[in-house]
Formats: sequence, structure tokens, C-alpha cells
Amino acid sequence: MECLDISCIGSTNMNAAIKDALKRDKELKLINVNSMHNVCAGIIGEGSIIIEDSTGLYTGSYLEGLSVRVKGNVGWYAGDDMMDGELVIEKNTGCNVGAYINGGTIVIYGNTGSRVGYGMKGGNIIVCGNAGRWAGIMAMGGELIVLGEVGQRCGESMYSGKIFTRDPETESKMGDNVFLDVLTEEEKSKLDGLFLKYEINAKSCEFQVIRPVLSGRHEYKLFKPDLKPELAKKYTVKRG
Amino acid sequence: MDDKKQPQIYNTQKSKWSKETLSEIDYKATYGKYRIRGCATPRYMPHFEDLMILPSQLTRMPIDTYREDCETRTVLGARFATKPLIIETPIMIAGMSYGALSKEAKIALAKASQLVGTVISNGEGGLLPEELENSYRQSIQVLASRMGFSRRNLEVADMLEILCGIGAKPGLSGHLMGEKISKDIALIRQIPEGIDLHSHPRAGDAFGADDMVVKMQQIREMTNWETPIFCKIAAGRVKDDVKIAVKLGYDGIILDGCQGGTGAAPVMASDHLGIPTMPALVQAVRTLEEMGVKEEMSLIISGGITDGSELAKALALGADAVAIGTGAMVAMGCRVCMNCQAGKCAFGIGTQDPELRKKLDIEEAAERVANYIKGMTAEAILLAKAAGKTKLKNLEREDLRALTLEACAMTGVPLVGSDLVIGQGFGFTATNQL
Repeated sequence: MECLDISCIGSTNMNAAIKDALKRDKELKLINVNSMHNVCAGIIGEGSIIIEDSTGLYTGSYLEGLSVRVKGNVGWYAGDDMMDGELVIEKNTGCNVGAYINGGTIVIYGNTGSRVGYGMKGGNIIVCGNAGRWAGIMAMGGELIVLGEVGQRCGESMYSGKIFTRDPETESKMGDNVFLDVLTEEEKSKLDGLFLKYEINAKSCEFQVIRPVLSGRHEYKLFKPDLKPELAKKYTVKRG
Repeated sequence: MDDKKQPQIYNTQKSKWSKETLSEIDYKATYGKYRIRGCATPRYMPHFEDLMILPSQLTRMPIDTYREDCETRTVLGARFATKPLIIETPIMIAGMSYGALSKEAKIALAKASQLVGTVISNGEGGLLPEELENSYRQSIQVLASRMGFSRRNLEVADMLEILCGIGAKPGLSGHLMGEKISKDIALIRQIPEGIDLHSHPRAGDAFGADDMVVKMQQIREMTNWETPIFCKIAAGRVKDDVKIAVKLGYDGIILDGCQGGTGAAPVMASDHLGIPTMPALVQAVRTLEEMGVKEEMSLIISGGITDGSELAKALALGADAVAIGTGAMVAMGCRVCMNCQAGKCAFGIGTQDPELRKKLDIEEAAERVANYIKGMTAEAILLAKAAGKTKLKNLEREDLRALTLEACAMTGVPLVGSDLVIGQGFGFTATNQL
């Protein structure tokens, strides 16, 4: 396994150096990344990369084919527009992880921030910890699995896709234009397969699934007055 | 009791209570929501028609309209990109989505771009393969929704537009009403068939300019620094937005004035958001000059541009190219009924209805759009030659005069006759200044 010391390479040449190294060795280790941005962005092909510490923004974005494992934390927008492959994060992440992913799998063993899976179009995102608010907002496909708590407005205005959750309070935290449903046998077996593959201690039977409304039309609150007539009558302003 | 006959009273026609006002109130009273409409705002906006081009006489020599050349080739996005875009006329076909337009209309526009040697933008909602096959140069929009977008799009792009907003509805998401989400559109956009689409209002992979700095590095790496990257912004706080775009390292800006059209926008948005194209252009040019990057940063202007005079005046004010949308649709047969959102376009342009789509003859429509662009370019050439220019891009603000006090104050171009400049002169050191 070839080892690249990123602190000696710098941000401008980092991904070019990673691509070169992958030509020599399909297994790569990156050290001293020091939370640099765009680590492994746009890397294409076969192989696996292990990042020994934490990374900054856009880690593994547009990734295609490779397996990337980050042993530390990652910043915002990790795996955005990812095509295929695997991005595994052993600790926590910032917000908007997996935005617009087309395919592949993102596994977060820790917690994630808000808007995980923003507008995702395919692939899988597994969050072993908690997810912040607006998880899976306006998703257009793919599957988001949250083992911990989901945040407010989960699944808001999804067009397509699924959010699997075992948070008992999911129903009160869901966004608009989605509903809670039970898993099909096919979905259960897919979830169990993913849990087995990534050594996650969970069972599909504990989960429910958030699906987009089936009516085909979203409803929006353009303006909805919050009427409190009694309180309004009692409202006074103390002057002087 | 007074038995005098009540005289007939006539209120002024400019009364607030026009039939338009009444109908808008009726709509809200019926549905409790705002109205969605196609095309651009019908409101009057100050525009390039308020400027005049000065002809060459004794001060300079005119160029022969029929026998001498005037160069129109335009290079865009050469600031950092190693493969800038080269087009044969400074008129690009603006981003109009497959979805808002029919497949036939998109193919016709792409073919027209091939006939005149220009670039076509794909618009929101994915790239139609037939559009890419037929286009001369292909611009790809990277939108907040990323519908139908993937890494494959980046690889085929001759130009990228990171879209922040459009003139017709800045700050709003894309609208495509369920009537137009056919099976094909649903497939390419990756959304359910028949749903009213209100797409993502802001990018989920860059919240603000700080993140965009890092995002730009990412896209540059993805495109190997080859493809020109433009920022498409709606005209609003132009000065600040242009400064940020320059600092972010874009190769150019597409600035869309509030007269820009769209397939569907809330009436409120198209009528009241943003500022008009002409003053926006002047503000953008002033800012680029102030920053010392006017020569390297390309500037494309759009919003209500329909003929060669507007092209010539836009170039004279400092634009490198213009983008046309509604004009190209009109060339295909559109009569601007402003009902695009309904998807029932009788000309087969703004519809997904298989029967209505048959009404658009692709080859004929392509030829008409190409003719329109040729004619529009020829008009601009005529004006440029009359002003003594052998290159369209040599038109300059000194060749312009303002017809109205309003245009004079907005642009800093001197008023006709008096050469009076109101406010800050736009490259003029007028002695006659207010």
C-alpha cells in the first residue's frame, strides 16, 4: 500500500498526485491531510483509499468507482454528485453530505449535520448516528437510512426515494408531502444486506420508511395564518 | 328630492382599477394564491431603445455595408480556462429547458446553433441527447436542482454556467407545471410524472460565496481547467454580485435582466424582482473596470434582447455577447401568448402534448431561428459599419447618446443634443454635467 503525505504535496496538486499514485498501486493511504478541502474529488477508477485523519469540504465529490475510507471527521458536502463507489466516514460529518448523489454508497458511522442527502438522485446513504434537520429534503431518488434520531422536517417535499428510520418520533418530525409506511420484504432484505456488509448492528424489522406522497401533487404553505383570536383580543402594549 | 339627471362621469383610463387589476384580484379571490405565467414581464422597462448610435461622418470613416468585412467572431471565457469558447456571432441561445420546451423545439434550436456557429445552453432539467448531437457548441447549466445532471454532463460541456438565478424570477426555484411533466420529461428529470415541480431554490453544495471558492477549485479540477466557467446571475445588486463573481475566479458572467423570459414564473416575481438589463449592464461594466478585469472577464447580457440594435448597443456598453430566448421562440412561431405554463402551446414549442408537438417542423424552425440570428447579426453589423467599425466588438460607449433623461442618468451616456451627463459619466469626461 502506497502512502502519500498530503502535507508535502499541497492542495493544488493533491488530486493529481492521488491519480498518479493509483496508477502504481490500487491501494493508497493518505496521511497528514489536515482537513484539506476537495480530497479525492473527481477521482475515477478502481482501488481503495484510506485517509488517516479528517478532511474538509467536498471530500470524495463526483467520486466514481473507488472506495474511500476516512478515519476522522469530514466537513460539509462530502460525496456531492457522487457517481458510484463507496465513501465510508468513521466519525462525524458536517451538513449536506451526499448532496445530489447519483449512485454509490456513503456510510457515516457517527452523526451528520443538516440536509444529508439533499436532492439525492440515487445510491445509498447510511447514517449510524443522528441526522440533523431536513434529511433527504427534495430527494429525487436513492435510499437514506438513519439509525439514530432524525431531525425536524425530515424528507420535506421528496419527489422520489426513501428514508428508512427507526426514530420513534419520526411521525412528528416529518416534513410535508411525505408519509410513513412499512417496509416491503424486498426493502428489508436490502437493508439487512447493507447492515451485514458494513458491520452495522441493526435489524431491518426495527425500521419504518418515509415515502413521498403518492397523489403526485405537492402542497405548500404559501401563507397560513396562525389564528389565536383570544390571545389577539388580550394583546396590549404598555406605554410610558 | 333632486330630480336632476346625473351627468355621465368618465374616470381617467389610467385609473388603478384597470381590467388587469380587477382580473388579478379576481384570481386571488378565487384561488387564494398567486398566479403563474409564462414569458417575461409585460411591464415597460427602460431599455436599449432609449439609446442612439452615432454615425461616422467627418470624424471617422464609414465602412462599406455591402463590400467590406466586419468581424463577429467572439471569444468567451478566456480568463482562466485553457479552451475558451469561440462562436461566430455574439448571440448565444439562452438556457431554455427540455420540459418547458418540446423536444422538437430543443432540437430545432440546437440545429440553428449549428447553422450559425453559436452556443446553446441546455437549461434546467438535464441534457437532451439530440440537443447535444445537433449543437455547434453546448453550454451546460449547473443548477441548484441538478435534475438530470451528472458527471457525464461536465465532460461534454463546451461551457459551464453555474446558475444562481434568472431574470424572470431571481431568488426563486424553477417551476414546471404538472401538465408538462410527461413520461419522457419525468425520466430525464428523475421526478414523478405529472407532478408540479418547484425545484431546489439554492444549491445544496455551496451555501454562499465562501463555499463557492472551494467549489470552484473542485469544478476546475473536474474540467482540467479547460472548460470556461460562467456564473449566471439575475440583475439585482449587480455591483456586489459581480465583485464576488470576479473574486470567485469565474471566466465570465451571464447577467440576466428582469425582462428575461421563462416557461413559468409567479407574476409577482417577473413583474417586481430584479432590475432592467440596460442599467444592470452598465453597473456590471463599471464594476469590472473598477476591478481592472474588464478585458479578461467575459460578460454576456440577456433579458429582452430582440434585434441587432440592442445587440450593437449592448456591445457598445461593454457586453461581449448577448443571449436570446423569447426572440428565438418567436422565430420558431411563438406568438407570446404568455401561457407557456399551461403546456398547451398551439405551435408545438412550449408543450409536451404529442399531438401539438407535431405542429413544429424541426428543419423549418431551425432554419427560421438561424435566419433570425443571421439577420440580427447583420443588423448589428450594419450599425457598427455605419459607426466606422470593422469589428463588432469595437463598438464603444463613445458611439452612444441617450434619448431620454432617464437613460442618461441610468447609463452615464450623454443626452442627445446637449451632451449633458447626469450623475457619474460612463467613460465620458463631460464638461456639461449635473
